[in-house]
Amino acid sequence: MGIHHVETSDGDLVRRVLAGDAHAYAGLVTRHRDRLARYARHVLGNREDAEEAVQDAFVRGYRSLARCDGPDRFGPWLFGILVNRCRTRYGQTARRGAIVVHDDAAIADAQAPDGPEGTVWQDAVAWALSRLEPPHREAFLLKHVEELSYDEMAELTGTGVSALKMRVSRACERLRVMLQEVERV
Amino acid sequence: MFDRDESIERVVRELKRPVPSSSDLEARVMARVLAERRLTTRRAVWPIASVAAAAGLAAVLVFGAGAHGKPVAFTLVAPRASSVAIVGDFNDWNPHATPLIRTGSGAWEARVRLAPGQYNYAFVVDGATWVPDPAAPKNAVDDFGSPNSVVTVAGASL
Repeated sequence: MGIHHVETSDGDLVRRVLAGDAHAYAGLVTRHRDRLARYARHVLGNREDAEEAVQDAFVRGYRSLARCDGPDRFGPWLFGILVNRCRTRYGQTARRGAIVVHDDAAIADAQAPDGPEGTVWQDAVAWALSRLEPPHREAFLLKHVEELSYDEMAELTGTGVSALKMRVSRACERLRVMLQEVERV
Repeated sequence: MFDRDESIERVVRELKRPVPSSSDLEARVMARVLAERRLTTRRAVWPIASVAAAAGLAAVLVFGAGAHGKPVAFTLVAPRASSVAIVGDFNDWNPHATPLIRTGSGAWEARVRLAPGQYNYAFVVDGATWVPDPAAPKNAVDDFGSPNSVVTVAGASL
């Protein structure tokens, strides 16, 4: 007789939290933290701001869980909160004049794979991404890394599909140029 | 898609790799979440113990405008309550005028049409305990010293 592991769905965990079991929220944090941490790091460019944004998103998600538009849609709903937190934080950082374009700690932390996709390449990608206009960077990440459709992106960002396509296209073009320059050196 | 040639594919592969983050991230999030819960529970159970754990999360949602104002949804999560009503500027603070309906998972909800303006309100749990909305801003203090919540319904004049 085998052991059958039945994974609790997001919807079940959300319903438990809404019924008063706040500890059930930990299951949602564990399940979604990696995706949120990755997006925040790429948008904000450094670990400290990214982790603050992720924490803020989770806490705000808990606070307004009753407004979630369907317990089984918790993941996309929370991700929308994170996108907004990142926008806010990026604006604050930009006003402080402290945009980080090179994150030594992140590079030290990362395990560099062997071969051409190693540290130099990671560094180059992080640098090129940080040089994009924030709306272009956001659109590029949502489309190609998070793999959202343009309709989903439009709903999330409040920007029209046509403008989003333009941003993604511009981001790709800029990344190609910058990374070609890096590889020539 | 014409955007994704080999150079962009390499970028995407790099960006899809997991990024390192603090091992105590969950612990820090949960510390803040549990602190929020303690705060919320204290607000909602005070002053009558019989509605312990009656509080949790609440929400106010404003929907599209109608002929007689905009429908506004008021929600309170109160799993142990036997009745919840809403009182406010819009119903003369009458605890019998606007009962909330239990919707499942311990949530209670009522929809009220409100003209543009700002309204103070509170929930009445089990006909006796007035609690502010844990999810809404606090505004005025009523004549008996309890804080109320405030909802603003936007309109042409606001």
